[in-house]
Amino acid sequence: MTEDSKFTSKRMSRRRVLATAGVGALVAASPFRINLAMAQEPTIKIGFPVPLTGPYGTEAQDQVRAAEVAIAEFNEGGGLNGRKAELLVRDDKLNPGEAATRTLELVEKEKVNFIVGSLSAAVQLAVNNVTKQRGIIFNSISQSDTINEVSDFSKFTFHEALNPHMTAGAVGRYAFPKFGKKVAFLTADYAYGHEMVRGFQEAGKAFGVETVTDVRHPIGTTDFSALLPRIQALKPDILCISNFGRDQQIALKQATDFGMKKSMKIVAPILLYTGRVAAGAQAFDGVVGGTSYYWGIEDKVASAKAFNDRFRKMHGGKVPSDYGALGYGGVKTLLMGARAAGSLDADKVIAAVEALKYDYYKGPQYYRKCDHQSVQSVFIIESKANPQKGDADVFNVISTDEPNEANLRTCEALGHKN
Amino acid sequence: MIDIAPTIAASSSRSYNWFDLAKRHRVLLASIFVLIFPFVMPFTALAVNILIYGLYALGFNLLFGYLGLLSFGHAALFGTGAYLCGIAIVHFGLPWYAAIAIGVLSALVMATLIGSLAIRTRGIYFAMVTMALAQCVYYIFYQAVDWTGGENGLRGINVRAINLFGLHFDFINPLVRYYVVASFVILAFFVLSRILASPFGAVIEAVRENEARARASGYNVVATRLMTFILSGGFCGLAGSLAALHLSIVPIEILHYETSGMVVMMALLGGMGTFFGPFVGAAVFLLLENLVSLWTVHWQLVVGGVFVVCVLFFPEGIWGTILKRIKP
Repeated sequence: MTEDSKFTSKRMSRRRVLATAGVGALVAASPFRINLAMAQEPTIKIGFPVPLTGPYGTEAQDQVRAAEVAIAEFNEGGGLNGRKAELLVRDDKLNPGEAATRTLELVEKEKVNFIVGSLSAAVQLAVNNVTKQRGIIFNSISQSDTINEVSDFSKFTFHEALNPHMTAGAVGRYAFPKFGKKVAFLTADYAYGHEMVRGFQEAGKAFGVETVTDVRHPIGTTDFSALLPRIQALKPDILCISNFGRDQQIALKQATDFGMKKSMKIVAPILLYTGRVAAGAQAFDGVVGGTSYYWGIEDKVASAKAFNDRFRKMHGGKVPSDYGALGYGGVKTLLMGARAAGSLDADKVIAAVEALKYDYYKGPQYYRKCDHQSVQSVFIIESKANPQKGDADVFNVISTDEPNEANLRTCEALGHKN
Repeated sequence: MIDIAPTIAASSSRSYNWFDLAKRHRVLLASIFVLIFPFVMPFTALAVNILIYGLYALGFNLLFGYLGLLSFGHAALFGTGAYLCGIAIVHFGLPWYAAIAIGVLSALVMATLIGSLAIRTRGIYFAMVTMALAQCVYYIFYQAVDWTGGENGLRGINVRAINLFGLHFDFINPLVRYYVVASFVILAFFVLSRILASPFGAVIEAVRENEARARASGYNVVATRLMTFILSGGFCGLAGSLAALHLSIVPIEILHYETSGMVVMMALLGGMGTFFGPFVGAAVFLLLENLVSLWTVHWQLVVGGVFVVCVLFFPEGIWGTILKRIKP
């Protein structure tokens, strides 16, 4: 009541207050507000849906940090004729439905120019389906074979990350001639695992590799003790562990405890930097795997040195992780494409990105014309027993699978007509 | 539960107050709300999601709130509707309206299958049986990769335009998409309200309140339960079909037990056994999740805290408590 009497004393009825507030709220919520705010030149908006929460949160947050580096560099370089870029980060919660909703928000409400992001095969396919219908360029930064295929590809789709075929192929080509031809697989029973096994087997054909068994386990398995002796009894030369994240850490730890490393070589298509840092040296000791990026290549690759230094400067001395670096590459290529095109028009940017021959952070790369897959190197790494240069010094790069279109599935095999 | 008593009271005193008036026209009020809803939401895609999940919760509430059976397997009905609607478009190239019809029909069939097995049990056993059957459905769809895309989900449900009576609408436009979905939701409001107001609706509540007495009064309890389960499945199937059209994908997560659990949460949060409560629950749930996750990665902590507060202080749900307060 005191509130009311105060208002009436100022000759302002409650109804009047309500009406004013209502109009104010309407104006604030209406599209006109945006017009008012757009007096200066609009920024280039890049939507960035990644799973900030959930099992891949560590990787996703690193991807955001790396993407911020790309944005900062672009803006310092003058932007696109003075137009600055801006990153709009959204949590997709590792759920394709949520990712599709967030992408709709970014496209319909924020009117983003590009989308970069995703950290799961299903999520990137969901985002891709939304963006390709609306003519928005999407650069995916997580592994999938399916996104290259004609069923999902569109001219708006780019794939900066490696795909399982390239990763497993590179590791296989390194491991099979060195360690033997009898191969056993321990595979997480979902698309990622299946695609990795297929990649290993394709690569193995050239070497006459024999698959002795393919043991499948569900995601989130915590006890491999029933599966490992079965593999041990078959006496393979190589054990390929095609799983991810925590599954990989546990499987490697238990395989070490079972003494399997004495009789066979353990390889994994992807050795995660964050996984290795979390699990410690012993479980990963002697394990060989692939990666899209490891910061330690900075001794040999100048662009990696520049990227790492910038990342350290912006983020308190940390080094970028493998998946994190993809956030940088994904954002950077589209922004540089836009700069080369001198425009944000989708068709012009697509043509410019297709024409890029770039070396932004890991050596030379380019997008293959038919499926927009980034042709790039794969690093074969081995876990270090004794890190010398601090906690981040966890891998040795023992070989580099140079960028080569022959290592990709052919355009015809993917269903594209050249 | 609050539907019968006030009506008797009102008719005996022969004077309608505004509360009863609102109750009589609940579909109209809910429809008006739905029509202005997108303009108060942060973004339209979220508003559409709230409509869809609101409808899903509404269908679930028919079984949970009105019949008193707690199902933990409603994701199977929601997901079947979504997948079959998507498959009709992706693999058979059917028009969108036919796809929605197939989505609803398939959910009705699925509800008949699950329902006829599950209604033999009650209480916690009913929840467990529905959950187990829903997991079976999950694995069937997960393994049928050629039809459903398996792990990768079903993509390519690309409806570009809606043609109705010579009118052409661009389905890519967010507001058009909203109002197409809204028209189905309003239709569902009407049908649901009609069911609840019918003699059959009274029997549903009678079974909830006292099963033995309902049986003694000559009502077929088993048939009532099965029928309610199937009807509930129809609403959920419609919601699923609309979800498939809205997002243009069907992720396998839609069949996950989390989707079953979420709808229980929504119904409880909004107020079980009230007409509009589940819709309110869905809106609050999704809004919180979306808004809080924008400013902190620890959104689960905030959302969890809000739930605890709701359970402690609004045991009848948000809408249920509001209704109780404003009832004259």
